[in-house]
Amino acid sequence: MKKVTLILAFLIANITLAQDQYTKGMQKAFELWGNGNTSEAANLFERIATAEPDNWLPYYYVAQINTIISFGEKDQEKLTKQLGKAQEYTDLAKAISKDNPEILIQQALVHTAWVAFDGATYGMTLSAKVNALYKKAIEIAPDNPRAIFSKAEWDMGTAQFFGQDVTPYCKDVERSIPLFDTYTSDIPFYPKWGKERAQMIAENCKE
Amino acid sequence: MKHLQYIIIFLISISSFCQTKISGIVTDKKNTPLAGVNIYLEGTYDGASTNEKGEFYFETTEKNTQTLIASMMSYETHYEMGDVSYLKGLKIILREAINELTGVTLTAGTFEAGGTSKASVLKPLDIVTTAGAAGDFVAALQTLPGTSTVNESGRLFVRGGTAGETQIFVDGLRVFQPFLATGNNIPTRGRLSPFLFKGISFSTGGYSAEYGQALSSVLQLNTTDLPDEEKTDLGIMSVGGNLGHTKIWGNKSLSVNTSYLNLAPYESLIPSNQGVSWNKPYESISGEAVYRSNYDKGIFKLYTGFSKSDLDIDQEDINYEDFINFKNKNSNLYFNASYKHFYDKEWTLYTGASVSVDKNDIGIITNTIENKETASHTKIKLKKSFTNRFSLNFGAEHFISDFSETFKDASNFSFDTGYTDNLTATFAETDIFFSNKFALKLGARAEYSSLLNNVTLSPRVTVAHKNNEHSQFSFAYGDFYQNPSRDYLKFDAGLKPQKTSHYILNYQSIKNKKTFRIEAYYKDYKSLVKYNTELPVFDAEYTNFGKGYATGLDIFWRDNKSIKNLDYWASYSYLDTKRNDRNFRESATPNFAAKHNLSLVTKYFIEDLRSQVGVSYNYASGRPYDNPNTPEFFAEKTKSYNNLSFNWAYLITQQKILFLSINNIASINNINGYQYANTPDATGNFNRRTIRPTADSFFFVGFFWTISKNKTTNQLDNL
Repeated sequence: MKKVTLILAFLIANITLAQDQYTKGMQKAFELWGNGNTSEAANLFERIATAEPDNWLPYYYVAQINTIISFGEKDQEKLTKQLGKAQEYTDLAKAISKDNPEILIQQALVHTAWVAFDGATYGMTLSAKVNALYKKAIEIAPDNPRAIFSKAEWDMGTAQFFGQDVTPYCKDVERSIPLFDTYTSDIPFYPKWGKERAQMIAENCKE
Repeated sequence: MKHLQYIIIFLISISSFCQTKISGIVTDKKNTPLAGVNIYLEGTYDGASTNEKGEFYFETTEKNTQTLIASMMSYETHYEMGDVSYLKGLKIILREAINELTGVTLTAGTFEAGGTSKASVLKPLDIVTTAGAAGDFVAALQTLPGTSTVNESGRLFVRGGTAGETQIFVDGLRVFQPFLATGNNIPTRGRLSPFLFKGISFSTGGYSAEYGQALSSVLQLNTTDLPDEEKTDLGIMSVGGNLGHTKIWGNKSLSVNTSYLNLAPYESLIPSNQGVSWNKPYESISGEAVYRSNYDKGIFKLYTGFSKSDLDIDQEDINYEDFINFKNKNSNLYFNASYKHFYDKEWTLYTGASVSVDKNDIGIITNTIENKETASHTKIKLKKSFTNRFSLNFGAEHFISDFSETFKDASNFSFDTGYTDNLTATFAETDIFFSNKFALKLGARAEYSSLLNNVTLSPRVTVAHKNNEHSQFSFAYGDFYQNPSRDYLKFDAGLKPQKTSHYILNYQSIKNKKTFRIEAYYKDYKSLVKYNTELPVFDAEYTNFGKGYATGLDIFWRDNKSIKNLDYWASYSYLDTKRNDRNFRESATPNFAAKHNLSLVTKYFIEDLRSQVGVSYNYASGRPYDNPNTPEFFAEKTKSYNNLSFNWAYLITQQKILFLSINNIASINNINGYQYANTPDATGNFNRRTIRPTADSFFFVGFFWTISKNKTTNQLDNL
C-alpha cells in the first residue's frame, strides 16, 4: 500500500510538473510579448503549440501575434508571410476547437488585416466573410465583449468609408465595455484583450 | 530490498531532471547567420530562438533519440534526428522556401482576374465596372492586350485567331455555347453572369496541357466555393430586370438568379436604324442556379443555366431590293457538376461532367434551319504535390458532340446534315520549382477523335526566370489542335484537326502596385480548312491545305498608385497576321484582324459623391476587306475604330446603387466593313454597302438593391 502511494506520488509529481511546464511556458511567452519581444514570444507559443497538440490556445496566440504585427505593415512580402502564418495557425486552432467564438474573431481579424492593407483587392471578397464570422461569433456567444466590440469597430470603418453615421456602433462599443469584466472563463490564459481599446474608441465617439 | 526499490524509482525520477545541453548555429545557403529561428525538440517544451549571430543554446531533460526542429518563415523547416547527447555544436543550413506570391510564377500568356495570385492583373470589381463593358465579362476582357476589337461580334478574337479558337471552361469543364444566339452584325454577350464566379483566368496562348481543342486561347472561370451570407438581389434596368437569391444551410448553399431582357421599350425610344428594322426586338429569359456542398475534405458544385431567346429582324443586303428577314428562337440548357476531394499526402482528386442541349430555330426569308447540338464533357484529374517544389497533374477526359440540322426552303425541299464525334484525351503535366528564381512546367496531351479517326500529340513547355525582386522573364512553347468547326464537319467528316504552334516570350515587372507586361509571340497555323465555294456548302470540296501565321507584341500597363483614387490601365497590341484558309485565293490578313489595338480604361472614385466614374477609350486601326473591283485580294482597309465610353456608379446607400452607362458617348460613326454585290452592275462595277453597327451609341440605366441581414453588401460586383 505504501509502495502504491509512493508511486502515485511520483506520478502526480510528474503530471504537475508537466502542467507547470505549460503554465510556466505560457507565462514566459506573455512576459516576452509584454516586453515587446514579439518574435521570441511567437516562437515560444509555437513550441508550446507543438508540444500541446490538443490545446487551441497556444495556436491562437501564434496567430494573434502574427496578425497584430501585420496591421500597418506596408511591405507586401512581409505581410504575406505573417498573415500566411497567422492563417495557418488559425486553421490549426479551428481544427482543435470547432465553432469557438474567439477563433472566429481571430479569423475575422486576419481578413481585416488584408482589407486594411489593400481594400480594392481584398475588400470586395473578404468584407462579406468578416461580416459572416462576426455574425456567427455573436450567435454562439452573445455576450462575448470581443465579438461585440470587434464587430462594432469593423462596422464603423465601413460606415466611415460610405460617409455614414457611426453612432449606432458607438452604442455597441459602450455595451461591450462592462462585459469585459463579466465575461470570463475558467480556462487559464483564455483571451481577455480588448477592454482598453474599446474604452479608447468609446472616448473618440464622445468627441 | 523494499528500500532499494524506492531508491531506484526515485533515482529514475530524478535522473529525468538531468539536463543535456543543445547548441549550434543556423545560417542560410550563403552562410549568413539567421536570427529569430525557432529551434526545439519535437513534442517538448525545450527550445530557444537564435540570436543575431544565428547561435542557439538550450537545455533539455529529454533522453535518447529526439527530433530537433529549426523553423522560420520563408525557409523550409529543417528536421534533424539524433541522440540528444550528439545535438551539440550543430551547423544547420536552412533552405529558402518556395514562395507562391513573391517567387517566380509560370505566367506566360495568362491574365488572371479575381484571384489573389500574383498573375492577377484585374481585380474582381474590374470585370464589371469597366466603362463600355455593360456587365459583360467578355467585354471587360477585350480591354486586355492580345485581343482584337471586332465590334459586330462581341466574342473574343485572340492574337489573329477567329472567335471559335477560344474555348471557355467553368470549373474546368467546357461551356459549349458560352454566347447568346444573335444574328449577323448584332454583337452577342456572354451567357454566364459574372457574379457567380470568384476568379477568371484568361490565357492568350501557351496554356496548360489540361486544356485542348482551342487553337488560340482558353478562358477559365471558377465558381464561388461557399457564399458568405444569405441575400436577395433585385435589379431594375432600362432593358429588363433580374432577381437573385442565395440561401445557406450549414455547409450547403444554393444561389439562384433569373433575368429577363426585353429591348422593345428601348427600341421604341431610341430605335436602331442603321441598316436594320426590328420586327421583334431581342427578348430573353434566363435562369442560373449554383448548388454547393462542402464536406470535410471535399467540395461538390452543381451549376445549371437555362435560357430562351427570341428575335426577329429585317436587315439590309446589297443583293436584294428589300431588307432580308432573319429570325431566331434559341433555347439552351447547361449542366455542370464537379467534385473535388483532398486526400492525405497531398493528393487531390477532381472529377466532373458538363452537358448542354442547344436548339436553334432560324428563319431566313422563306428558308428555315432547325438545328440541335447535344454535347458533353467528362473529366477526371489527379494532382499530387510531392514537395512544394515539385507537383504532378494528370488526367483524362472525354467529349461527345452530336449535331443535327435540317434545312427547308419554301418549296418544302429539305436537306439533313449532322455528325457525332467522340473525342478522348489524356494529359500529364509537372511543375518544378528549382528555386524562387527558376521554374519549369512540362506537359503533354494526346487526343483521339472518332469522327476524324485521328490521333494528335501536343507537347507544352513553360520556363520562367526571375531576374530581380520585381521582374521576371518567361518563355512558353506549345502545340495546339482543334477539330474543324461544325460548319465544315457537318458536310465533310474526312478532315483532319487544325494545328497551331505558339512561341511566347514574356517580361513582367510588378513594383509599387504598378504592373508592366510585354509579350512577344509567334503563332504558326497548319492544316486549316479550305473550301472552293462562296460559302461552306454541302457540295464544296474541303481540304486541310490552309495555313497561316500570326506574330505580334502585347503591352500592358496598370497603375493604381500614382494618382489618388485613380486607377487606370492601358493595353496595346500589335498584330501581323496572314492566312490562306477558307475560300481565300491567296494568303491575306483576314477581316477580323486589326494591326493596332489600343485600350485605355480609367476608374476614378469620388469620395464626396460616393461614386465611381469610369471612362474607357478603345482604338483599333482599320480592318481589311476585299474590293472585287480591284485585282488585289483583301488589300483595302476600313477607317479606324474609335469608341469612348462612360459609366457612373452611385452608391445611394450601401445597398442601393444607381448605375448609368453610355457606350460610344461621342456617337462616332464606326464602320464594321463593306458588303459587295455578288454580281457587277451594267458598268461592270461591283456596288457595295457599308456595314455599320445597328446603332452608334447605347444607353443603360439600372437600379440595384441588395437585401441582406447585415447591411453592407451590394451588387457593385454584378454591374
